[in-house]
Amino acid sequence: MIQKALGSDHLAGWLFVLPAVILIGVFGILPIGWALLLSFQQNDLLATPTWVGLDNYRTLVHDPVFRDSIRRTLVYTVLFVPLSVGGAMGVALLLRRPIRFSRFYRTSVFVPVATSTVATGIIFNWLLDPTYGLANFVLGKIGLGPYGFFQDPDQALYAIVAMTVWGWLGFDVIIYLAALQGVPEDLLEAAQLDGAGRWATFRHVVWPLLSPATLFLVVWSTINALQVFDEIYVTTRGGPLHATTVLVYYLYNQAFELFHAGYAAAVAEVLFLITLVFAVFQLWLGNRRVHYTS
Amino acid sequence: MRTLPFNPRHLVLLPLAAVMLVPLVWMLVTSIETLPETRHFPPTLIPAGIHWQNYPDALDAAPFGRFFANSFIVTGAAVIGNLVLCSLAGYAFARMRFFGRDITFIALLATLMVPFQVTMIPTFLIVQHLGLVDSLGALIAPNLVTPFGIFLLRQFFRTLPIELEEAARIDGCSRLGVLFRIVLPLSMPALATLGIVTFLWTWNDFLWPLIVISSTNQSTVQIGLASFQGAHQTNWSLLMAGNVMALAPMLLVFIFAQRWFVQSLASTGVKG
Amino acid sequence: MRRSLALLAVALTVLVAGCGGGSDSSSGGKTNIVLWHGYVDVEGKALTAAAKRFNATHPKIHVTVQNYGNADYALNKVLTAIRGGSYPDIVYLYGSWAANMARTPKAVDLAPLIKADPSINWNDFWPAERQAVAVGPKIVGVPALVDNLALVYNKKLFDQAGLAYPTADWTWDDFRAAAKKLTDPSAKQFGWAYVNDASEDTVWRFDALLWQAGGDILTADQKHAAFNSPAGVKAATLLQQMATVDHSVYLDSGNGNYANLFNSGKIGMLFTGPWDLSGFPDVHYGIQILPGDVNHQTISGPDQWVMLDNGDARRNAAWTFLKWFTSTDEAMQWSLATGDLPIRASQTQTPAYPTYTARYKGIGTFVQNEQNAVKARPVLPTYNEISQAMGQAIQAILLGKAQPQQALDQAAQQVDQILAQG
Repeated sequence: MIQKALGSDHLAGWLFVLPAVILIGVFGILPIGWALLLSFQQNDLLATPTWVGLDNYRTLVHDPVFRDSIRRTLVYTVLFVPLSVGGAMGVALLLRRPIRFSRFYRTSVFVPVATSTVATGIIFNWLLDPTYGLANFVLGKIGLGPYGFFQDPDQALYAIVAMTVWGWLGFDVIIYLAALQGVPEDLLEAAQLDGAGRWATFRHVVWPLLSPATLFLVVWSTINALQVFDEIYVTTRGGPLHATTVLVYYLYNQAFELFHAGYAAAVAEVLFLITLVFAVFQLWLGNRRVHYTS
Repeated sequence: MRTLPFNPRHLVLLPLAAVMLVPLVWMLVTSIETLPETRHFPPTLIPAGIHWQNYPDALDAAPFGRFFANSFIVTGAAVIGNLVLCSLAGYAFARMRFFGRDITFIALLATLMVPFQVTMIPTFLIVQHLGLVDSLGALIAPNLVTPFGIFLLRQFFRTLPIELEEAARIDGCSRLGVLFRIVLPLSMPALATLGIVTFLWTWNDFLWPLIVISSTNQSTVQIGLASFQGAHQTNWSLLMAGNVMALAPMLLVFIFAQRWFVQSLASTGVKG
Repeated sequence: MRRSLALLAVALTVLVAGCGGGSDSSSGGKTNIVLWHGYVDVEGKALTAAAKRFNATHPKIHVTVQNYGNADYALNKVLTAIRGGSYPDIVYLYGSWAANMARTPKAVDLAPLIKADPSINWNDFWPAERQAVAVGPKIVGVPALVDNLALVYNKKLFDQAGLAYPTADWTWDDFRAAAKKLTDPSAKQFGWAYVNDASEDTVWRFDALLWQAGGDILTADQKHAAFNSPAGVKAATLLQQMATVDHSVYLDSGNGNYANLFNSGKIGMLFTGPWDLSGFPDVHYGIQILPGDVNHQTISGPDQWVMLDNGDARRNAAWTFLKWFTSTDEAMQWSLATGDLPIRASQTQTPAYPTYTARYKGIGTFVQNEQNAVKARPVLPTYNEISQAMGQAIQAILLGKAQPQQALDQAAQQVDQILAQG
């Protein structure tokens, strides 16, 4: 009877997902198809476009700025994802057990996520200003700096990492807090009664139970990190000297400042493929390593 | 066995909270300064006086009453839509086996992988074909369900003990019944999270409403705030007053929804 | 006689179209047109008031003004609207987009209209404005705003340093020496500020210096770059020396901090335009024409009203509105209300002009300076790419990461390629 109950659910399954599939199909898949067509055109969105086949892609391969922007995007992603997800897990664990002011702490961690990018940009532009900023002021007191941060081509990308980790940490913390609700208290007590130390409890109980959330956050953060744009737009604008020109910034510049929309669409398609590879790999890895309850 | 008179976790959490709150403090301070006072750099964190007038002035500068109403309608619809549709789809992907399940899941997820800067123009054209341009429908329809929510709930649902669902099915409960009577009540934290995040994103959405809405009657709060930023000049005091007012509903929703994060501690009857 | 016939023709067209009740939103004989703009505050209110006045005195036309939010997003919005087939009749756009707008068939070519209708008094507009809207034989907009760069300085800081105020004969050497004297690292005070985000903001100040040294951006046939000439290198070297040797320049990252810094008394001099003046309530500032080399040329950054084609009736109505709005008296009323520079030379002869110069401290210098705006940036669809190549070079020079000749040569190579393809 269980077999029958849990057997093939073709009809039911499709009925459940149909509304979502239709809506996302119309508003998500169709536009992407159009973008794909656009990548085969020379199109400035103003005059009539011309079809150029794979020319845009051929130009991409030889474009040094494009290749550099891939590298920068990957560097950014490789730093951002572990820092934000790992940091969030740490903070969530700190907030898990009752503590005074916990509501205050939870809300303050959430504030940067809710704050508009414009306001965040202004704050960081000020904090990290080489001459007048608070960061160099404080660092100067302990004998460090002054640093160029957003104005130094060698530091700018890392400054963006710091800014975006700050802005997104709270989001990951919320997800982890929700997931931690599913960690039964008695399981932890049992482990500790068995003599397991804090680290062992974490490694063998908490970490596996949090792995579904971790998988989600890693995939989600990766997708977002590969598309980082807003924070760069309100601070460094892709500079200085292209130091923060990541893929989407390059795309935006090509499409809306230089009117090469077809070329920009080709860039977007390459980004899409990179993201797809990452996501599929992570999901595959996740399917083998993630522990859902039996 | 404490060596400190207070919980050592405060040593980490307090500075962290301070760092996180800096922009909010700056926004509040700027919102009560006069415009000339805002024209200083480095910015002052301690204002000379309190100029509450900015708040009524900001509300007067544009029909913000209308904007807030529109934002609430759109955001409310998006939250409800997502809670319902993502639950249905997320559950199907989590528990059911059906033809093309994994490919469809990847395809839905793939729609997140193309940046909005590229898809916004064709999305506009589609919305136009549907006759929704310059209406709240244009803001609601594309946001009724997101792959993010489906993914989130799928992960969460899979962590629940399947025995409960199997038992209910054996008892003759339909799939829908299992979802609504067994699974969802156990998923309050995830649902609360999805609700908060959907609220946040729809409320803060700026670029899409800017493109698809032209008339004042259909504008949202974010578009209204953009009107404080001119080509060469920005009215910072009004802009920040507006931003604080726009931020308030989100923080309130978050504080209110926090009860679902601490819910299960109470329900598992852990000793206090 | 011809003028009144032309007006009659326009009126009849509007009337006929109104009666025809076509698809161009005219109801009961009235033609409705829509205008998109990005004005806020004082200017926003002035525009709404002007539209009201126009509607009251022109019963056959109704203008609705809509704010499109931040002007930076205006192009996105307009492009999307045009693609979607539902776009306004008049839109305010940055001058740098003129060449691109000329490429869409929806942008109305005003050249035939101007030819047929002398009442617009086209040559009354400043030369820089007329140059900015001319894309080959096409004219793509009506001037909306004009400005130019002048030297704005903090009188108190000059007094404290014992310096005489800048004169109209100031050379680059005078300027550099003053900036050095005004710089005080212990007080975190700089003599000058320069926007260094590699955008057009970075480039156009350099353009003024380039022209002052007798150079040009492109060759006369617009086929090659010319900014890496000795004149260009001289200008770039001035920037390099001031930034990397004297350390007298605050490098602004493009977020407008320089204006707040100036207002806080931390910067001695700026190259800026009238739009920034209202941001300096705490400073006694003086205004002078730019320091020069071979000449004292400046650069102008006009914006324009572009007309989009929604059919005959609406097009004619839009033309009527723009003629009215940019007429000498209306334009003077606008300048008086907003502080914007006169867009027509004839405005300086109106009775309201002295009131204007009295109300806005120092604005007279900007108006005079408009006569120094002799050259204009190339109006080409590829201009943005040219600007980016130049901007990267100047940014590198200011950051001390490249030498002037080498950076300019590299940029010139890129620009030559861009011009060859475009």
